Amino acid sequence: MSNAGAMLVATLVTLTLIKATPIIYAALGGVISERAGVVNIGLEGMMAGGAFTAVVFSGMTGSPLIGVLAGIGAGAVLGFVLGFAATVFKVDQIVAGTGINLVALGGAAYALVLLYNQPGASPQVNAAGNLVVHLGPIDLHALTILAFACALLLHAVLYYTPWGLRVRACGENPRAVHDAGLHPLRLRLWAVIISGALAGLGGAFLSLGEVNLYSDGMTAGRGFIALAAVIFGRWTPWGATGAAIFFGFFEALQYVLQGRIGWLPADAMQAIPYIAALFAIAGLVGKVRAPAADGIPY
Amino acid sequence: MKILRRVLGGPAGAILLAFFLAACAMLVAGVSPLDGFQALFIGSLGGRQQIAETLVQTTALLFPALGISLAFRAGLFNIGAEGQLLVGGLAAGAIGAHFAASTPIAIFVLLACGFIGGGFWGAIAGWLRAQFNANEIISTLMLNFVALSLANYLVSGPLKSSAAAGAETAPLPAASWLPLLIPDTRLSIGLVIAIVAAFVLRWVFTRTVFGYELRAAGEAPEAARRNGVNMPRMTLLALTLSGAIAGLGGATLVTGVLHRFNTQLSPGYGYTAIAVALVGDLNPLWVCVAAFGFGILEAGGLAMQALADVPKDAIHVIEGLIILVLAARRYIATRAEAAPI
Amino acid sequence: METRADLAPGVRLRLRGIGKSFPGVRAVDGVDLELYSGEIHALVGENGAGKSTLANIAFGALRPDEGVVETGGNVVGLVHQHFELVGRLSVWQNVLLGREPRRGWSIDAAAARRRVIDLAQRNGLEVDPDALVDELPIGVQQRVELLRELEREPAVLLLDEPTAALAPAEIESFFQTIVHLAQRGTAVMIVTHKLQEVISYSKRVSVMRHGKVVGRFETAATTIDEIARAMVGGELPRVAQRESVTQTPCFRMANVSAGSGGTAIRDISFEVNAGEIVGIAGVEGNGQTTLADAIAEMIPHTGSVDVAGANGRIGIIPQDRHREGLVLGWSIVDNAILGRQHMSGTRRGVLIDRRAAREDAQAIVRSLDVRAASVDVAVRTLSGGNQQKIVVGRSLLGKPQFVLAYQPTRGIDVGAAALVQSRLVEARNAGTAVLLISFELDEILMLADRVLVMYRGAIAGSFARAEIDRARIGRLMAGSEA
Repeated sequence: MSNAGAMLVATLVTLTLIKATPIIYAALGGVISERAGVVNIGLEGMMAGGAFTAVVFSGMTGSPLIGVLAGIGAGAVLGFVLGFAATVFKVDQIVAGTGINLVALGGAAYALVLLYNQPGASPQVNAAGNLVVHLGPIDLHALTILAFACALLLHAVLYYTPWGLRVRACGENPRAVHDAGLHPLRLRLWAVIISGALAGLGGAFLSLGEVNLYSDGMTAGRGFIALAAVIFGRWTPWGATGAAIFFGFFEALQYVLQGRIGWLPADAMQAIPYIAALFAIAGLVGKVRAPAADGIPY
Repeated sequence: MKILRRVLGGPAGAILLAFFLAACAMLVAGVSPLDGFQALFIGSLGGRQQIAETLVQTTALLFPALGISLAFRAGLFNIGAEGQLLVGGLAAGAIGAHFAASTPIAIFVLLACGFIGGGFWGAIAGWLRAQFNANEIISTLMLNFVALSLANYLVSGPLKSSAAAGAETAPLPAASWLPLLIPDTRLSIGLVIAIVAAFVLRWVFTRTVFGYELRAAGEAPEAARRNGVNMPRMTLLALTLSGAIAGLGGATLVTGVLHRFNTQLSPGYGYTAIAVALVGDLNPLWVCVAAFGFGILEAGGLAMQALADVPKDAIHVIEGLIILVLAARRYIATRAEAAPI
Repeated sequence: METRADLAPGVRLRLRGIGKSFPGVRAVDGVDLELYSGEIHALVGENGAGKSTLANIAFGALRPDEGVVETGGNVVGLVHQHFELVGRLSVWQNVLLGREPRRGWSIDAAAARRRVIDLAQRNGLEVDPDALVDELPIGVQQRVELLRELEREPAVLLLDEPTAALAPAEIESFFQTIVHLAQRGTAVMIVTHKLQEVISYSKRVSVMRHGKVVGRFETAATTIDEIARAMVGGELPRVAQRESVTQTPCFRMANVSAGSGGTAIRDISFEVNAGEIVGIAGVEGNGQTTLADAIAEMIPHTGSVDVAGANGRIGIIPQDRHREGLVLGWSIVDNAILGRQHMSGTRRGVLIDRRAAREDAQAIVRSLDVRAASVDVAVRTLSGGNQQKIVVGRSLLGKPQFVLAYQPTRGIDVGAAALVQSRLVEARNAGTAVLLISFELDEILMLADRVLVMYRGAIAGSFARAEIDRARIGRLMAGSEA
């Protein structure tokens, strides 16, 4: 392979992993929540909440680490709201998730003006962009490595621990969980809180890992792409991670192709990841089965 | 508790509670809620211009909200009204810029373009669902982004007006503009079309065999399937019609308000309309009322920003809170009759 | 309301003055009951008499409005009528859910398997601990449910209609296990409506009606008849008399195969004549649902399904009225025309003919004595029996050529069941061909002119009414006779 070709591949791999990272986090959040029986349409809002809060706290303290932690916290709080609505109030999960998205996305835009007195985007803050491991020509962000660690951890928790077994049982038949003397609503609530925390971490990566500010609309439907990744990955941590990388690849491809293929304009290329997601969810006819009690209030 | 239940029992209670929460948010932000709400209402209802602008927003929200209601009633979560509205507007704008005919014919043709364009966009999701069982929440949302990319590309490339500085189509000839309902405002007869559409939709739901089957499909899909409802066909039809109504809204924005197409056509009407449809209980006539309420918020939001220094985005927070509170009050209202285990 | 007060010797569970209301229903009304160590106590009553509610209160899943549940600290186990298992988990995962053996932070799967195998052997219940519950036959799922309760070593074991889905042979082995448990000191209460089982296995019987205990018997000193009369509070309702009619072929299935896996049907051929009820006997899960779906054209199948006759109309009473038969949020009027919305009698062009719908609804209400405030109330608010009457009435409207009745009296009280059965017999007398699929052999034997036995997706035997041999049918249902 020519040198330029190798460079191109390295760039594509690096970019794929960067673009995949926030989707991996959100998709893992989607997996745990749906395995417990709660469809998390609010992932998008939780990502935005995490991204925004991370920037605020990094700006206030000067520490991107605290920013990332705050992003996780913000996601968890939104997860709690959705979980509370879905369990205690037995609200339709799709409706509640839609509400969460409006509140979080609108709230971030609102707070941008309140805090910084500038609409659209925050000022630049200290970012975590330099936490990069160089693997030959490929750059690997520390939070990307952490994303894979989270996938591994989630896999271990779901399939090897008592708590994971109970969560999976909860997504299939919460009554059986109740009859075993456990608390299905509590299990679901925790699962959705963790889901929100993961989505918040994904958001924090968007704002502090990739760039160093929050701007309106920066989540750009990634929460929903993550939901597609959950389905594409058949509700398993590794499957969802793989699907997130698949979507990350198409997002990266769009950047790599820009300027290289003259006849395909940049605006049209922006549609590539979304079209890939459409094909992915359409290509799974009859092959997937959601958790039996997914989306059904208990 | 009983009093609380009664107060929260209706949509009015939900809206009140959401405003209360919003007032709390304003206090936290250091703005007097009184000033904020005063600005909101003066900005939306304080005069002829203001009322007209509120009704412009009402119209813009009403079409997609009616489309969403239709899909939701069929049990299909169409989150893609934004994209359907955009494609409808794009179809009307693209053809309208190069189409000359006398007034009634031109308007009819362009509105039909919007209807067909939005319907086509909805039909993609319908086909994916009917044929491949692809989750419509995700597909309609992905199609929103695809629509935006497509529109951006077309208005900055093939359809770009050479006369305009920004990315937009050439203006429509005046013969294809919707007549104004109130002179010297932006309010066109699009509002009348929207309200007529609401009545038609209500008639379809309650009187026709199609509406009967659509509601059956939404409320009890298995019973519907076993009782003669062709579910794949219903899925395709419902999402197509849902998109078509949203697309018609896009066309009325193009022919009635902007008189050209650009991608600033909608500041998220398709998303806000989800809240409108839910607050209106998916009932077309109540959706009209809800659209007016949200029209006040949309139109007043700008005034709130200018007069009371409350950012316009606060409106979206209020809308989100209304959805959450409304969903929760169903629980409060139905809790008394919870079924035994 | 649970106390740890000391119980009298031999008593393992004591209910005192238990009352429980649901909106509009007094489900349980002042019930006293004691369960003794080593005894099988039968709790019988019609559907809706309050048996399951009482069992759930005794178990602790429901809180009584009044009264006290005294367990003396004893562990109480409950086996549900509809198993509460997690289909996509394995047997051991189901049995040990919530009590998983650990090794560090993870589940000790090897120890879990050993525990389940050991438990199964001690109780004579054979299972594969690694099998997925979804892939097990119903009878084995029952064992898993029972094992899950036994794992907690309950001093009191409550069984809610445990044999509803079992074949006769399985029922026998199930009761062997239960009798064995009782002999070792467990207090067992079995909730059932199968009086033969009550007579064969129980020590005492309590009869419930309208939430109250209306009869208490020592099993040895009573009869099935006496228990049955106490259940319905008088004489048993009568079902319409069968009349002889001329018979011509009306419904024909030829070489029909459909479905896959354990519930597939293979090469099924039979006819139903006009004016005949053909009963399909069999244990649940032997392909009846696949057969019904194939007839309703809900699933693809090979072979042919034909209905001959003037209008070719068929009526279907589906197995699950809630999911498959009704739109629960709709009124009786709207539900009355569901399935016929395309037909000329119920539509005018693109519009629903609301007057016709209302007339249909009123006809259904009249003919099946539906108890509802008006035809405009939501079907959700009606009792199960009245809901089923609507489904049955709708399927019989307009004299269909052929009616498929799948478990038409499932979960409804004796009076409503007798009415439904009478209407089916009357439809038969009027010349309709009726195919009755039921898991209740008694119902088949009472109604059918001809009985087909279904086992593992095929017709295992056929009996004309005159030559019905109950014992042989039972053996065919269990697959123990080729």
